[in-house]
Amino acid sequence: MRVMVLVKATKESEAGQMPGPELLAAMGQYNEELLKAGILLGGDGLASSSQGARVRFEGKTRTVIDGPFAETKELIAGYWIWKVASKQEAIDWLKRAPFDGGTEVELRRIFDLEDFAPAMTPEQRELEQSQMKRLHDRKKNPSP
Amino acid sequence: MKFMMLVIPKGYEQAKPGTLPDPKMVENMMKYNESLQKAGVLLALDGLHPPSMGARVSFSGGKPRVTDGPFAEAKEVLGGYWMIQVKSKAEAVEWASRAPMSDNEIIEIRQVQDFSDFPPETQKHLGDFKDKQSPPRK
Repeated sequence: MRVMVLVKATKESEAGQMPGPELLAAMGQYNEELLKAGILLGGDGLASSSQGARVRFEGKTRTVIDGPFAETKELIAGYWIWKVASKQEAIDWLKRAPFDGGTEVELRRIFDLEDFAPAMTPEQRELEQSQMKRLHDRKKNPSP
Repeated sequence: MKFMMLVIPKGYEQAKPGTLPDPKMVENMMKYNESLQKAGVLLALDGLHPPSMGARVSFSGGKPRVTDGPFAEAKEVLGGYWMIQVKSKAEAVEWASRAPMSDNEIIEIRQVQDFSDFPPETQKHLGDFKDKQSPPRK
């Protein structure tokens, strides 16, 4: 199964502050372990919400609000995607992350095609598989 | 520029384990995903099972504390995301506005940090980590 590991924002991340060298080094080491264990599939840091926006939907109306957004607790600063055998394995790995100082991380299971299958028609399943294949192929051969 | 479009579905914070989107929503989503693909902007996408199937870990004082979902105080939760490659934030906003969302739902648009966005000192510490990453899909 795959999980998404959501690292919640803090005042510091929202202020665009970079982690210090010790934390960066510890993170690098941790990511290396995740890679070696075959767990790490991907991850990114996100620029603060001051560079973002929100689109709110209501009927045909779209309301666009530029960041920053006040509810820091509801924002994310970055994420990983991990491949694990179980939720418990993900939790065990996450507990070893070099976070401190009140950092909050949320772990969420990612939908597999098999999970969706009961909600899809056979045509939709086929289309979904074709879309995933094209996406995967595009990743291997990205256009310039 | 890479952006994430983060889907914040209404009421998902209360969704029970095993909740699935309804077939009409799946249909609309797949059409939208197809349009993103055809335009050549789609890099990745995923849906997330509800928080009731997740967990949170908080780190303080050197002791990680685990809490299983659901999370009573959460007013907004992530339901899924698209990662797109576009020329500007305005273009990302335009794409987000076309997504098949329901009333009072939100898409949050956030820029993905490029290696070159980091100051030189940080880049040095990150080293060649990005090159070592395996592709992000199974």
